[in-house]
This record gives sequence, C-alpha cells and structure tokens, in this order.
Amino acid sequence: MSTNPMHQFEVYRIGPELSLGGIDISFTNSSLFMLISAASILLILSYATTKKNLIPSKIQLLSELSYNFIAKMISDTAGSNGKAFFPFIFSLFVFVLFCNMIGMLPYAFTVTSHIIVTFFLASIVFIGVTILGFIKHGFKYLKLFVPSGVPVLLLPLIVVIEIISYLSRPVSLSVRLFANMMAGHTMLKVFGGFVISLGFLGGWLPLSFSVALTGLEILVAFLQAYVFAILTCIYLNDALNLHH
Amino acid sequence: MTIKNGKNISTRLKIAKNRIYKNLKNTNQIEGSSIGSALKMSTELVVTVVVGSTIGFILDGWFDTKPWLTITFFFIGVIAGILNVFKTAKKMQKK
Repeated sequence: MSTNPMHQFEVYRIGPELSLGGIDISFTNSSLFMLISAASILLILSYATTKKNLIPSKIQLLSELSYNFIAKMISDTAGSNGKAFFPFIFSLFVFVLFCNMIGMLPYAFTVTSHIIVTFFLASIVFIGVTILGFIKHGFKYLKLFVPSGVPVLLLPLIVVIEIISYLSRPVSLSVRLFANMMAGHTMLKVFGGFVISLGFLGGWLPLSFSVALTGLEILVAFLQAYVFAILTCIYLNDALNLHH
Repeated sequence: MTIKNGKNISTRLKIAKNRIYKNLKNTNQIEGSSIGSALKMSTELVVTVVVGSTIGFILDGWFDTKPWLTITFFFIGVIAGILNVFKTAKKMQKK
C-alpha cells in the first residue's frame, strides 16, 4: 500500500480503453463507485418500499424519514411551487450522500472528491435553474441582477457585483463539496500514516485522532450532502419566486 | 375498557406528536440550516474573489488591457463576497 496521501484520489481505467470522437470514455474506478452508489440507492429504496407496513420496519422508516426530510426542506425554502422538483432534489441529495458515505468505507474511492464530478452536478443545478427562471419570468428574470432601491449612480457597479455573485454559485457549490471531501480524506490518510511510522509505542495518539476524525468525516459527509441539497432549494426559490 | 383506552391513546398520541414537532422546530431544523448558512457564507466569501478575478483576467485577454481589469474585478469580487455575507446574515436575522 502506498503511504502517499494523494494516492487514494487516483483515477484509473478498468477494462478496455474506449473513446468516442476523441474523448476518452473508458470505464474507471470513479464510474464503478458511481454505479455502486446508484445501485445501492436503488436496492435500499426499492427494498424499503416493497413491504409497506403500518408499523414500519427500520429500513422502511429510514426511507420515509429521508422522504420527509427532503419534502420539508423544499417546502420550507422554496415554498409550494418547489414541490414539482422533489424528485430531482431527492435524487441529488441521496446520490451525493451515498457517494460520500461509500467513500468512508476502507479501500473505497470517493467520487465526490474530484472537482469535475461536483462541478458537473453543480452545473446541472445552475443551468437548470437559469433556464427555469427564464421560462417562468421571461426577461424579467434579469431583474435578479438589479436590486430595488439602488441609486442610479451605483447601478453599473451593483449589476456587475450581482452578476459575479450569480456566476460564483456553481463554483462555490462544487468547491465546497469537493474541498471538504478531499481535505478530510487526505487528513485521515496522513494520520493513518503517522500511526504506521510512529509504531507501537507512539502510534496511539494519531490512532485516537484517526478514530475521532472518522466520526467527524461521517458528519461532514452527511452535512455536505445536506448543504448541497438546501442550496439547490435556495437557488430554485430565487428562480421560482422572484422578489426584487 | 378498550374504548377508554383507545381514547387515551389518541389523546396521548396527539400530545406526543405536538411535542415532537415543537422539538423539531426548536432545535434540529434551525441548527442544521445555520450550519448550512455558515458554510455558504464562508465559501462564497472566497469563491466570489476567485470568480471575479477570473472574469477580469478573461476580459483583459479580450481588450488587451493587461493587469487593469484583473485588478478591478478582483476588488469587485471582494465587494461581492462581503455583500453576500451581509445579505445572508440579514436573511438569518429576519428568521
């Protein structure tokens, strides 16, 4: 095993090399773990909803709890108009959550520790919300960049500022998730390396740190999925209910 | 006996449900969303600066005005980041 803390983020090809129009589309370990998380979501949720008991089993309770959690989040932030987007936000939340949690298992690859994956997810949200805003409000959606009650002299500056903060949405959404996952897993690996190098006598301190960090990382894995979903709801709210 | 018990159970269920909803409103929901806003503010403060400077850098390439637009947009990005923090804080105080 390598002691390099960045080695765990390496993407390598599994199976034959495939290319489509000059773009490498080979199956990698990243795609494998995306498939694993998607498959486990499907398995768990479909198993949970096969036997619908009045007194729910633990797994049924889990799926109902997550349903309620997201439904409440959407109605709290985006209002009743946001209900139609429940399937999208639920899939997004559960996918990010499972990718993060499966990444916590030993020898597993963390899909969300690569910025291209998180940036792609964030771009879907960003482009979708922008298109939705224009469909809902037409060119009035551009009022989002012109807050009310601003002096005319300051208006050019404010518009530029608003455009920058609008464009920074997908970047901040993706960087937050990617940076948290990558930093956490690197830290775990570094402390793990200390345990080995300090040996039986000195290794106990980093080992206890490692255990504590694992707990923290599980919290972060859940929290980042939650933040990703709730910020998607907030952006959706901006597009659905224009306030300015 | 059974009817009496049934009534008891339904009233007790109502009380218990109310208590759970109150607890949910009081603790979990607010704590969770404030952690969310804190994460949102801290990353946006940094990311707007990066996005602003990048836009300035691209525009510099288009208009051939090498460092000036990058510098200007860097500062606009800083302002946008701070403004975002103020906006989020204001929204949180309204709640």
